[in-house]
Amino acid sequence: MFRYRRGAVVIALVAVAALALAACGADAEDGGGDGKTLRLWHYEGANSAMGTAWNEAIKQFEASHPGVTVRFEEKGFEQIRQNAGMILNSDQAPDIMEYNKGNATAGLLSKQGLLTDLTGEATRRGWDKLIGAGLRTTSTYDQDGIMGSGNWYGVPNYGEYVMVYYNKDLFAKHNLRVPTTLAEFTAAMDTFVAAKVTPLSVGGAEYPAQQILYELALARADRSFVDDYQLYKSRVDFHGPQLTYAANTFADWVRKGYIAKNSAGIKAEDMGVAFEQGTFPILISGSWWYGRFAAEIKNFEWGTFLFPGNSLHPGSAGNLWVVPQHARNKELAYDFIDITMKKEIQNLLGNSGGVPVAADPSAITDAKSQELIENFNKINSADGLAFYPDWPAPGYYDVLVAGVQQLINASKTPDQVLDEIAKPYVDNLTSLGK
Amino acid sequence: MSWARRFNGYAVLGVLTVAVLLVLAPFLAVVVNAVKTPGDYAAHGPLSWPHGLSLAGIVDFWFRVDFGEKLWNSFLIIGSVAVLGVAVSVLNAYALGIGRLRGRTAFLVFFLLANLLPQEALAYPLYYLSKEVGLYNGRLVLVIIFTAIQSAFGTYLLSSVYASFPRELLEAAELDGAGRLRTLVRVVVPVSWPSLSVLFTFFFIWTWNEFFLPLIFLISNDLQTVPVALGVLQGERQMDATTTSASALMGIVPAVLFFLIFQRTLSRGVMAGAAK
Repeated sequence: MFRYRRGAVVIALVAVAALALAACGADAEDGGGDGKTLRLWHYEGANSAMGTAWNEAIKQFEASHPGVTVRFEEKGFEQIRQNAGMILNSDQAPDIMEYNKGNATAGLLSKQGLLTDLTGEATRRGWDKLIGAGLRTTSTYDQDGIMGSGNWYGVPNYGEYVMVYYNKDLFAKHNLRVPTTLAEFTAAMDTFVAAKVTPLSVGGAEYPAQQILYELALARADRSFVDDYQLYKSRVDFHGPQLTYAANTFADWVRKGYIAKNSAGIKAEDMGVAFEQGTFPILISGSWWYGRFAAEIKNFEWGTFLFPGNSLHPGSAGNLWVVPQHARNKELAYDFIDITMKKEIQNLLGNSGGVPVAADPSAITDAKSQELIENFNKINSADGLAFYPDWPAPGYYDVLVAGVQQLINASKTPDQVLDEIAKPYVDNLTSLGK
Repeated sequence: MSWARRFNGYAVLGVLTVAVLLVLAPFLAVVVNAVKTPGDYAAHGPLSWPHGLSLAGIVDFWFRVDFGEKLWNSFLIIGSVAVLGVAVSVLNAYALGIGRLRGRTAFLVFFLLANLLPQEALAYPLYYLSKEVGLYNGRLVLVIIFTAIQSAFGTYLLSSVYASFPRELLEAAELDGAGRLRTLVRVVVPVSWPSLSVLFTFFFIWTWNEFFLPLIFLISNDLQTVPVALGVLQGERQMDATTTSASALMGIVPAVLFFLIFQRTLSRGVMAGAAK
């Protein structure tokens, strides 16, 4: 027995040594600044529109750069969100990566000097001509890391916007047409309520509900309100006509039964699945659902329309290509961005269910994709991208989720909710010295 | 009276059954959704029974993240941590519990406090240290960190076990002319083997589920552990529910298997008394 135990101890010690040795080895990192490898990271699914288009871009890049290998790694969104600052501040930074647009992400890293200034490349290679004024907002950041002016730090390949998805079968069953005004839209929802169908599938526990609130504010807003709210051009009055109308109308929609009382606890995923099951006739959310609905909804016909009556819509350019300051092969990274902006790749992105920023509309063959891209171009050419409500302040997402939940639960009046969401916004302005 | 006793028995059985079902329900949900097609999930929701069996989610996930490689990474890091963690704990506890080192209470309180520190507070200092010594983005740095974290707890626990270690055995060893190292290897470790096995098993299972620090320190995909690889599936706004379920299933299977294998060790270790 004693002998056996000593044997076990010896085995354990040998195991330690072996494991520790193995753990030490094979961590060597290659891809130095020799112009022979492009280390590329993004976090879009392989079958998504972006994944498909970028996969093709990698092939074209390798064809046009003989002797250069692309070392692509599919990252998790969470990993990049948590770690981007740390990774980019080390010698492990990739040569090019996808990163979130906005003040709290790309803006912050640009301010910390972790991103390469792309202004020269953008003008030299003509990206600034392909990306119009509305889309460009999230590409440029000033020295405080605030978007809308300053140098280029990122290049978007795609756009996104919020629209109304509807179940054509249920609309036909209740003899409803696609509404063109807000009044017609509410009338349609009244019809559903009268037929004991809750019209809107809403995820109140996450981003969707606040986008509806913002959509309602935009119904009464013009570009100067968006500039004030998002770019801090001047002070926003939270009790002004836009937000007061939004909060009151939202509360009204809950009262009238357009939005179910239990939606405060519903997640975005469940909201989408409920729409896919045909439980709700209408869903107001972003173009990121489009590809999934196209692939998964088999039991009924569906379509989309822009939020009736609005000329401004929540939406923006998509995530950005950024080149880390510590990247070793920047020239290759610029070449890669250039390829992703080519018509061919952009058209592929559009035909795969995405919203390209520089596609040739006549090359989009799929009818549904055409509708999606035409609507985006309509908004974009009218300078109608109003960004997202949670952008202006760090942590504002949670503030808005809580505020809208109180509207759904009717636990606070619209006025009280406006006061509540005004405070963190104003605090942020104060901390920025505005 | 016997009727009352029998009734009590049934009541306990009923409560336990409900408890077991409650524990198993999430596992069942994971399994059910792991074998659905995305279309099936979309049409019938997460709570319906699958309409037909599809292993596509599991297969897709395996190839998408190169799951075999992730398993190897996990075993390598966690195996090293569990073995080293126990070894360090034994050495510490030998000094503190049996050696009756001066200031041992202070040491134990320190180890306990170190154990209570949230990992979020450690992230930045460890990041800068590991960058300084060139270990950032390597498996070794995690082995070191988790060995330290786990052995803090191990030291605390084993020290109290060793404090009540039968003195007769130690004196006998001393009379036989055994030195300190010999006493440790020949007497203390064999006698406390059941406790050490329990510690090993716990270290393994606890470290297996670690997500935060591996997420920060393992940057390259080919170094990542299983829980970090599972995170790849969660997009910014979209999740692929069926593949996510498949990945969750594969993430927990190794830990469950490990637990089942060592389950006997656990129950024996908990029962084990010191002196025989």
